[in-house]
Amino acid sequence: MDNKTVETISYLARLKLDKDKKEKITKDLENIIDFVAELQDLNTEDIVPLSNPLEKVAPKREDSVTSRNRKEAFLSNSPESDQDYFMVPKVVE
Amino acid sequence: MSIRFKTLAELKRLLENKEISSYELVNETFKNISSSKTNSFITLDEESALNKAKDFDEGKVDGDLAGIPIAQKDLFCTKNLRTTCGSKILENFIPPYDATVVDNLSAAGSICVGKTNMDEFAMGSSNETSYYGTVRNPWDLERVPGGSSGGSAAAVSEGLVCAATGTDTGGSIRQPAALCGITGIKPTYGRASRWGMIAFASSLDQAGAFARNAEDCALLLNHICSHDSKDSTSISDEQENYLDNINNDLKGKKIGIIKEFDISSLNKEVQDSFEHSKKIFEDLGANFVEVSMPNIKLSVPTYYVVAPAECSSNLSRFDGVKYGYRAKNAENLEELYIKSRSEGFGDEVKRRILIGTYVLSAGFYDAYYKKAQQSRRMIKNDFVDAFNEVDIIMSPSSPSSAFKIGSKTEDPIEMYLEDLFTISSNLAGVPAMSIPHGFAKGLPIGLQLIGNYLQESNILNFAHQYQKNSDWHLKTPNLGESS
Repeated sequence: MDNKTVETISYLARLKLDKDKKEKITKDLENIIDFVAELQDLNTEDIVPLSNPLEKVAPKREDSVTSRNRKEAFLSNSPESDQDYFMVPKVVE
Repeated sequence: MSIRFKTLAELKRLLENKEISSYELVNETFKNISSSKTNSFITLDEESALNKAKDFDEGKVDGDLAGIPIAQKDLFCTKNLRTTCGSKILENFIPPYDATVVDNLSAAGSICVGKTNMDEFAMGSSNETSYYGTVRNPWDLERVPGGSSGGSAAAVSEGLVCAATGTDTGGSIRQPAALCGITGIKPTYGRASRWGMIAFASSLDQAGAFARNAEDCALLLNHICSHDSKDSTSISDEQENYLDNINNDLKGKKIGIIKEFDISSLNKEVQDSFEHSKKIFEDLGANFVEVSMPNIKLSVPTYYVVAPAECSSNLSRFDGVKYGYRAKNAENLEELYIKSRSEGFGDEVKRRILIGTYVLSAGFYDAYYKKAQQSRRMIKNDFVDAFNEVDIIMSPSSPSSAFKIGSKTEDPIEMYLEDLFTISSNLAGVPAMSIPHGFAKGLPIGLQLIGNYLQESNILNFAHQYQKNSDWHLKTPNLGESS
């Protein structure tokens, strides 16, 4: 876990670390990765990965309209909206 | 009449006998909250709660929990009531809908008095990662209440409310229940709906309850749990009445002790309490069997791959666009994302997002994430094998009693090991609970009871019989004169 890796994953996660905290977080991440590394020595031949404890297939439902239009309720939580839209900085020049 | 430390069943009786009105009960609750020093609540809902109490007193509301004030962990969405998840990024978030668990508890007539403090996005074991300040343990204000549902646990422990909801992803109900000297239960994964719970790690998150005893937890679970078509992992099997079997005889029942959990390395008082609790169950006719679960030692490393991976994916929705905190002065859209997330999330949340991003990134996926999912199956198989031999499994809930605020914040791994005994149940998805069973260094400690899939009523039965034959759950913190 070096500076360059931390920079790459921070960018992938769209996070920017404060300069004064970067060193500590890098060290923490290194320790955590070391801590979980013992899994790598595990013999997992023929073990099917478990992604959900229930192992059930998601149920299907009728494709019918179930919700009312609640545009106003949802837009009201937006930091910046304009009538019908969520506002963001200009994307296309 | 003092309502502090009364159980849910006791308050129900007082209301039924009209010895107290719901209005008095709710009013007294807010008085107690205002003099509390534990910082258990982030947001209160006084006006609405008092109105609901009046409705009950006027005979307009009925239900199993009618007129009873309870608290909701601030991770459950509550319609028109601010829901922060302990984070700055949701400081102004007002959900347009109720979580199913909230909806269920309202339908039973209970009255939500407010939202309890918690570790940011439920990531923590001490409540110190909350943006809204650390919660203090009612037994010693210099110590942590545990986490992540520390506010709910402290509020029940201090007698502010008789019941509160919590969520448990790796021990977030059981560890704070243990550290605050109360009872807490996490049902089987999928038994309670996750709809409206702000997601941390979706394959591990599960809602549950805190109360003063197992009987109250059973009553709460009857309403917290439900099948919900809005949650694709919700269990549709018939749900039992969790009060029906709590008085069953324990004669001949088998309790498993996990061979690989080295209890002899723990504090002497923790060991002694464990032996004492074994004796109580033996006197009730239960037998102890050693079960070997060779992969259980992989639980903490497995969890710290799986949970951060799911967290990094779930928390990508916080980008400052549709809701939540938005940073000022962003030049373009990407900068808006980066600034809003960097200013809105705290350090522990960032650490976990980064770990998750790392283990899911190209080149590392097989080495970490796939491997962890495979070891997760090995851990689950250990539980399946063990439950072929025994009815329940018993262990301490946490390695020690409550620690001093600030004493474990420097080293994340030391904090992660707080959940050594609890994490495996989440990975397997089995139900588990913590009940008070003694003291270490003058502070409460908990006993963990783990059940087979959908056997909530079984662990509640063991817990209730234990509590009928002990008085640890009746102990209350000394709150001093000012409280």
